[in-house]
Amino acid sequence: MSAGIARQGAAGRALRFVGTENLSLIVALVVLSVLIATQTDAFFSTRNVMNVLQNMTVVGLISVGMTMVIVSQGLDISAGSIAGCASVVCAIMVAHVGTILGGVVFGIGAGMVLGLVNASIINYLRVNPVVATLATFSGFRGVAFLIAPEGRPIGVLDPTFALLGSGRILQFGAFPGIPIAFAILLVAAVGGHIVMAYTVFGRQTYSMGGNPAAARLAGINLNRMRLWLYSISGGLSGLAGVIVTARTSSGQPASGTQGLELEAITAVFLGGALMAGGKGTIMGSMLAVLLLAVLSNGMNLLGIPTFYQLVAKGMLLVFAVAIGQWRMVMDERRQARRSAGAA
Amino acid sequence: MTEPVLSVAHVDKAFPGVRALDDVSLEVRPGEVVALVGENGAGKSTLLKVLSGDYRLDRGTVSVGGTDISQATPLQAREAGFRLVRQEPEIVPWISAAENVRVGEYPRRRSGLVDHAAIRAGLVRGLEEAGFAGMVDPDTIGRLLSPAQCQIVEIMRALKPGVRVVAFDEPTSSLTIEEVGRLFALIRKLREQGLGIVYVSHRLQEVMEISDRVVVLKDGRVTGDLETAATDADAIVRLMVGRELIHDFHRHETTRDEVVLEVKDIRSRWHHGVSFTIRAGEILGFGGLVGAGRTELAKVIFGEYPREGGTIRMAGVERGIRSPSDAIAADIGFAPEDRKGEGLILVRSVIENASLAVFRRLSRAGFLSRRRMEEQVAPVIHRLEIRTPSLAQDVGKLSGGNQQKVVLARWLAAGPRLLILDEPTRAVDVGAKAEIYRLIDRLASEGMAIMLISSEMPELLALSDRIVVMHEGRLSPVIEKADATEELIVSHAIGTGVAA
Repeated sequence: MSAGIARQGAAGRALRFVGTENLSLIVALVVLSVLIATQTDAFFSTRNVMNVLQNMTVVGLISVGMTMVIVSQGLDISAGSIAGCASVVCAIMVAHVGTILGGVVFGIGAGMVLGLVNASIINYLRVNPVVATLATFSGFRGVAFLIAPEGRPIGVLDPTFALLGSGRILQFGAFPGIPIAFAILLVAAVGGHIVMAYTVFGRQTYSMGGNPAAARLAGINLNRMRLWLYSISGGLSGLAGVIVTARTSSGQPASGTQGLELEAITAVFLGGALMAGGKGTIMGSMLAVLLLAVLSNGMNLLGIPTFYQLVAKGMLLVFAVAIGQWRMVMDERRQARRSAGAA
Repeated sequence: MTEPVLSVAHVDKAFPGVRALDDVSLEVRPGEVVALVGENGAGKSTLLKVLSGDYRLDRGTVSVGGTDISQATPLQAREAGFRLVRQEPEIVPWISAAENVRVGEYPRRRSGLVDHAAIRAGLVRGLEEAGFAGMVDPDTIGRLLSPAQCQIVEIMRALKPGVRVVAFDEPTSSLTIEEVGRLFALIRKLREQGLGIVYVSHRLQEVMEISDRVVVLKDGRVTGDLETAATDADAIVRLMVGRELIHDFHRHETTRDEVVLEVKDIRSRWHHGVSFTIRAGEILGFGGLVGAGRTELAKVIFGEYPREGGTIRMAGVERGIRSPSDAIAADIGFAPEDRKGEGLILVRSVIENASLAVFRRLSRAGFLSRRRMEEQVAPVIHRLEIRTPSLAQDVGKLSGGNQQKVVLARWLAAGPRLLILDEPTRAVDVGAKAEIYRLIDRLASEGMAIMLISSEMPELLALSDRIVVMHEGRLSPVIEKADATEELIVSHAIGTGVAA
């Protein structure tokens, strides 16, 4: 599909940047935006657009790590629970120790350690990634409650720290500024994209996801890869937990981070990744996160009840994956016909 | 003369690039045991799979007891009375042996619940009738059954009501001599009951003992249909072998003095003390039957399977290889037999697949350099004349021959001192085959040591400088090129050769 097509000009370069496989996501995004904009003027206001970006941050951060893990033929169901732990750890550091930097570093660090726990369970106890992270999904949530004093939320009243959650940068005139949290997501996504697209580590991740046996026979150490992948995913979940803490001004063991993993997994599959591994891009996942954020924002603006939003999200996922499957079947048929002709 | 219970007439079956069956005809009468023999790749398995409905034939007819099953599904072929006893039966790991026999057709009680007592009793009775009394515990779950017990479960599946023809595919490969005796007693009993029996085996002694008639396949064609009593093993072997050598290919003599690989007394689950050496520029051929332990040997050397004893030396230095990455670090490359399963990342591009083993070398500070890939790997792809619309094409969309060349390109790019090739031309068309032979020859001439595993006789003979044959986890003495004949290799492979 993407190979061998030489396109010229700016449009071609833009398309290559986004990736032809993500074209349908862009189309869906444009169609949806236009549809919403015809119903309400509020949608394309700068304030609202910035709101959408703000709202996609937390799921977006988790989706970056989730994409890497899913591409490697893994899964991280514990991402939301990791964010919960990180939120509590971060709040303790900021509120009780009084260090914002410490809060951020320890929040991310806690996430990375928990990611290492996931990878170790998968590597050394030989537990399937789905089962392993389903177990830690529950286990890490419990840990979050245990480390929060009496299992309660921890108030964090530092206004500087709160900027991480709701502050803006580049404010001038009527422009309300870009959310700081979104800028952080942007850095993480660009970083993730570079890692996946251009580094040895990223390309090895695609290889091990596409065919673990072949990757191992080509000399790739799968266990070591998993240690890195799950700790990166954990670290990003931790960062998401830090942002939740800043935005809600409290370290939350549960509220604010529950269900994030499912939203992220939804976005990654919507973004074109395969459960079987080996396929998927950060760009696709980010577009999908944006699409989901626009969907729920638009429906809110139009006053459509949450229940319908949930149904719409579900239908979107089924629809997108079904199209992907159908495309693959068509590709295979075409291929079979070609090789039958060759014989 | 009685009507045949199985009749196969003018059957053709082609796969991309290969004529697997070419105008094959044979008949089996009630109460007759017909042995089907031929080398690896002669078409025996393909024929069985056509009969069982696993493959659809391209041309010709097949009928069982008068019912045409030429276009039958596996279920229809079964119902018509054709039963295949597979060499590697599908056993469900988590249900009992008795349930495995009846899977898909469990008897029910009046309440509608499964009648476990009947399932169990059915197997016990069946085993008694077949002469296998007590050899399988009906309650043992599938994954704990031994290979011989799996074989018996598979036989019990075949002997269900309605059976008219039973085809045994290498039934004795996992049986002891005593068990073989019981199996033969069963086959004779089935013959008396008027069933038609097809018996596929590499073991000519067994064939001579049990069969009434022998049908010989070679390169997908029937080359002999003989009364067993009127022939002997030598005559059958002559009909099996003697294929033309590959035209227009000549191996250059390039063996040098320096020893690259020295393997001493390797022991593993599959091997009982295997030793050999390969020198620079030499191609050492490994002959033997499928399942003799050659692929396993390659994987033990490459660190994929555990080694329980013995040493591996590369260029005189002992290497404690425990993983494929250790092996690669020791300058070893391995192109596995199962290209799609173990060789390639089908959903990724040609250049990425070819670069996989040398990602590190193509990178700077962890970043993969496009420029280095294009400088170092792209020329290899061009040199191998891999036909692909672009370097970014998914490997899964290439033909078999080109896919194999991508695997070879990977190791060429890595430049190992020893390259292990496991069935390098499996499912590759004739044209690509010749190219791959020339390539292997050239690699050797550049000083690479090559361990070549091949089940294709002409290939083994044409490429190898010396040949060893593996049989049940042991190696035959080295056969020098001048002495190598198909007959000699086959006799070592089936275990009738002179012991070391």
